[in-house]
Amino acid sequence: MRLHTFASLLTKSARFPALLGLATMLSGCFWFDGPQSTFDPHGPVARHQMDLFYVTCWVCLVIFMAVGAVLAYTNFKFLARSDADAHAEPPEEAHGNPLVEVSLIGASVLALVIIAIPTLKGIWYSYDVPADEKANAYVVTATGYQWWFKFDYPNEVAKTVDASGKTVNAAFSTANELVIPVGRPVEINLRTLDVIHSFWIPKLAGKVDMMPNRANHLWIEADKAGYFWGQCAEFCGESHAVMRFRVIALGPREFNDWLSNQAEPARHLEAPVADEAKPKAQFASYRTFKRNEAGTTEAFDADPLAGWRKQQQPSPGEDAALVATGRKLFASKTCSSCHTVRGDGYIGVVGPELTHVGARSTIAAGLLENNRDEVHRWIHAPNEVKPGNKMWVSGYLANQIKLTPEDENALVAYLQSLK
Amino acid sequence: MSSHAAAATLDPHDDPTTTTGIPNKKLLMWAFLASDCMFFGCLISTHLIYRLHPPPGTPSARQVFSIELTSFSTFILLMSSLMMALAVNAIQKGNLKSMRWSLLTTIFFGLIFLGCQVYEFRNFVFEKHLTITNSILGTTFFTLTGTHGLHVLIGVIWLTAMLIYSFTGRLTEKQSIDVESMGLYWHFVDIVWIVIFTAVYLLEYI
Amino acid sequence: MEALAKTDFIAKDDQPAKPLVLWRPTAKTGLISWLTTVDHKRIGFLYGLSALFFFIFGGLEALAIRLQLAVPNNTFLTSAQYSEMFTMHGTTMIFLVVMPMGAAFFNFIMPLQIGARDVAFPRLNAFSFWTFVVGAIVLNIGWFTKDGAPDAGWFGYAPLTTRTFSPTHAIDMWVMGLQLLGVASIAAALNFIVTIINMRAPGMTMMRLPVFTWMTLFTSFLIVLSFPAITIALIEIMMDRLFGTNFFEVSSGGLPILWQHLFWIFGHPEVYILILPAMGIISEILPTFSRKPLFGYPIVVFSGASIGFLGFGVWSHHMFTTGMGTTATAAFSMMTMAIAVPTGVKIFNWIGTLWGGHITMRTPMMFAIGFLWMFMLGGLSGIMHSAAPADAQQHGSYFIVAHFHYVLIGGSLFALFAGIQYWFPLMFGRMISEFWGKVTFWLVFVGFNVTFFPMHFLGLEGMPRRTFTYDANMGWATGNLFATIGAFILAIGVATFFISMIYAFFKGERAHKDQWDGRTLEWSLPVPPPEYNFAVIPTVHARDGWWYAKKHASEIAKETAEHAKEDEAHGGIHMPNQSIYPFLASVGILIGAIGVAVVDHDPSPGFWGTKVAITILGGAIMFVSVLLWACEGADGFHIHLNADGSVREDGGHH
Repeated sequence: MRLHTFASLLTKSARFPALLGLATMLSGCFWFDGPQSTFDPHGPVARHQMDLFYVTCWVCLVIFMAVGAVLAYTNFKFLARSDADAHAEPPEEAHGNPLVEVSLIGASVLALVIIAIPTLKGIWYSYDVPADEKANAYVVTATGYQWWFKFDYPNEVAKTVDASGKTVNAAFSTANELVIPVGRPVEINLRTLDVIHSFWIPKLAGKVDMMPNRANHLWIEADKAGYFWGQCAEFCGESHAVMRFRVIALGPREFNDWLSNQAEPARHLEAPVADEAKPKAQFASYRTFKRNEAGTTEAFDADPLAGWRKQQQPSPGEDAALVATGRKLFASKTCSSCHTVRGDGYIGVVGPELTHVGARSTIAAGLLENNRDEVHRWIHAPNEVKPGNKMWVSGYLANQIKLTPEDENALVAYLQSLK
Repeated sequence: MSSHAAAATLDPHDDPTTTTGIPNKKLLMWAFLASDCMFFGCLISTHLIYRLHPPPGTPSARQVFSIELTSFSTFILLMSSLMMALAVNAIQKGNLKSMRWSLLTTIFFGLIFLGCQVYEFRNFVFEKHLTITNSILGTTFFTLTGTHGLHVLIGVIWLTAMLIYSFTGRLTEKQSIDVESMGLYWHFVDIVWIVIFTAVYLLEYI
Repeated sequence: MEALAKTDFIAKDDQPAKPLVLWRPTAKTGLISWLTTVDHKRIGFLYGLSALFFFIFGGLEALAIRLQLAVPNNTFLTSAQYSEMFTMHGTTMIFLVVMPMGAAFFNFIMPLQIGARDVAFPRLNAFSFWTFVVGAIVLNIGWFTKDGAPDAGWFGYAPLTTRTFSPTHAIDMWVMGLQLLGVASIAAALNFIVTIINMRAPGMTMMRLPVFTWMTLFTSFLIVLSFPAITIALIEIMMDRLFGTNFFEVSSGGLPILWQHLFWIFGHPEVYILILPAMGIISEILPTFSRKPLFGYPIVVFSGASIGFLGFGVWSHHMFTTGMGTTATAAFSMMTMAIAVPTGVKIFNWIGTLWGGHITMRTPMMFAIGFLWMFMLGGLSGIMHSAAPADAQQHGSYFIVAHFHYVLIGGSLFALFAGIQYWFPLMFGRMISEFWGKVTFWLVFVGFNVTFFPMHFLGLEGMPRRTFTYDANMGWATGNLFATIGAFILAIGVATFFISMIYAFFKGERAHKDQWDGRTLEWSLPVPPPEYNFAVIPTVHARDGWWYAKKHASEIAKETAEHAKEDEAHGGIHMPNQSIYPFLASVGILIGAIGVAVVDHDPSPGFWGTKVAITILGGAIMFVSVLLWACEGADGFHIHLNADGSVREDGGHH
């Protein structure tokens, strides 16, 4: 057990010097707190994995320094410095030294044992929620699709309106932004309906694959409220690189507020009943984007959690008539055959649920900031944003959907109103 | 290599031109069979894995299989191995005529086995409605036994070619290694069948 | 039974009846001579040439990848093009560059090291090469069709490769190409196994084999035992795609995890297939340029064996994130750590070899020592992956990309470059310029590290591999720019290498026999070696046979003269005949493969569609060629060396 103590001591003491050693080499070139940095864990699982990383890193560095020193010394010491030297009578034909060999093998095994012990501990720790916290765990189901993530909350109930206008219960589901409570372990069941994806939130936990016909799971826990980047980590086709998502961790009260807002059916604007008002010609103000252009602004990236919170509030200057037109277009342009908007009678299940899409901080699987310009960009040219996506291939192309600027304008207003 | 000049009786198990005395062709065949073992190992594993994880609606293998017929064809294949051994023995003694009869019988038994397999496949597809596409069981079963059947077919073609070749007068006891390595292949195919028979058929009756 | 002299075995061409043969080519120069060659040196040269050709291809693909990633949100490539690039870059570099480059050395050097005049089955050897070419063609044919090149990653995880998610023929070509490369590799490996076990010169016991030959043997066993796994996986996916079976059909209960297991049961030994030849080359170069025997020869050999053996028990460390469960993960974690021990042992022994030597820093030695450093880094990051929970963060990220490039470039490729520089004088009788060799080394070394070292950090900062774009806010821009700059330095280094190699081939300084004062038998030959390799098969008295022979020159000379007389008494030097059938069989395979993988399913009903017809035509050509190949027999002719060194042939080209 002394080894074990040594290993954990190493864990604690290793973090600083190892980081220093690595960082000084390339200081200024790289930073370690990028949005997906594994050096900046915000939960126990990621922290555990980082500690283990430092143990392995430290052990390997020591081995590298030691062996490298000997190699460098040998190379320098025994270098033939003259032609005569190079052709001098070679040394005795020695064939090895068993004692040296065996002790080096012993040393290597020892070094590996130092890594092995925390590894074994970590395997069991990161696999599942610790038994004593199991009862407290919050359960969600994440499902991978080409190329977005669906999040179901099996223990929550949402409301919708049926054909007769009565409010009834419905499944509680959202997409691409997973909202979790702070300080509670969250057990995520991982599923996929097409190919293999991998679910990775570097600051909260290492990845686990979503495999067809295989029930995988992962657990995470966020220390404090925060906004975390995630990304698919297994190649899953053309738009693998832009299959991203976010995790938003909220304190208990804010989390409950969010839950109750999400449970509501889609928001309808209290509007003066204007008779099918023609949409105003606002479309000219939309920005145009280049292919692959970044979907978020620096202002948003500076404090994304604040951005997310702002997104929960209705945006000013909503045009009820325009929204109503958009709601109709949503059906006539066949959006509703793939997307669900609870309360508006749209029940498609192929694409992400959009009942509260306006309250998300991003759209198009964590790729674009959720604002008018970006929403317009997305519905205007989905294939430019996410090559090969189903909305383009089996929606726009297959159904020969053409959107006029007026249509786009109304649809943007409608989607933005769904807070 | 000092044995160059030494006169001795012809020993088919020793080839003085090689380092180990094992003829090259024999060594090649053994190494190839090791590789083939892995081929069949992977296919049999696939079958067994899917057997453990049958999706709902998988037909029951027991209702599809006809163990009597397969037992018979297994027995026939085993007998063909015996005839193959006799053929090798005959050519090593230079007895061409005896070898031809043994080869012919081996081919005949091989063909009976293949005939049984064709009958079995037709029976499964048309009577029992197990096809290669309609269930995982069909997929793994037909692929595995079909691959084995292909091996038998290649063996039969090889045997036939050798039989025809023996009439050209070019096959003598000096070339017995050609027959012997063919025999190794044939025995291997038989042994693999024993494994398949156990893992695919008999296992369903335990 | 009448008694027969054993010599009857030896004079095999002295047969009662002429074998059945249509045409036995005898051309010594020209296209026909290359298509029909059975000379292991020529085949080795062809392997090397093809590998270098595809190296340019794979390198350009890599540069395209790096250009796309040079800056955030770049639009140099589309996503679809990017997928083709990384898929074909990986597949090309592994199957069409490093493996055939290894095969080039196996072919050229190994028989010389064991004192043989050819491999055990010269025509099978030619078949292996031509089938390799066919596989490479099928793999790359997609670039020229509307379907495009394969684009599902080099490990092609099902169900992305099923018809549902990859409906075009691109994946069919990938599947078929890899199957053919598997056939070629297995056939070649069987040949090497028999050659090493059975064709050693007298006195060349197993424990006197040069380490490169040992590694050839282990690599061959790995190929023979691991390629069946991927072949079966490929057959299963092919059945799914062509005939609608259910192996990986999720809706019918297929298990995509099975593909991963089958693939990595092959895939991990494959890693050692790529690195063991490199280790063999290093184990030849270090002793030569330290003027010392390899330190701990038996331990180096046995660690090679245990790496090969353990290599079959660690495949699931490529699958730590697939939710295997705790026990399996723990077991594979521990196994992976265990395999580090024999690898470490090799490094210790290499340093032990240098220790106390007289180290001359010629270009091959610089690459060899570069290998030691880079392979050590790659190996250590490999140990970091063995800690499964930490690997959950590293898996599928650029950390992995960095790791395996350290092993495959810093390891395999450095060693292969070292091998080319080392054996070039032997192969072609000319020297690669020492100055340009060193320039190459520094460019490659610096370029390589600038490219791949930052990738460790990119991975740990959360950049997943196989992503065609990234945003500037992720903190990955600097590292990627560095990597791209490094890639171009590396490319300049490789270009320098190619130019100096081509120059040396035509105009290089003449090399003399035993250029490096070598230790193993290949250095006892004139440069370049004659067709028959050894005028007299050497008798080996010690490990490092040629070194011993140089130290005991007079005794060896007497012995050789005696054996020469004996040889002449037995009919001279036996040489195998050329044959066209291996080539024709491969052509048949190519036609059949195009039928299966490239031709569209015929929309018209009936069995005799174009697809089936072409496939059957190819199969028939192959079958007939193999039949004729069998009927023509091995045969050969005899070479007699005159006292003045001139050559006289007899024995007839049957």
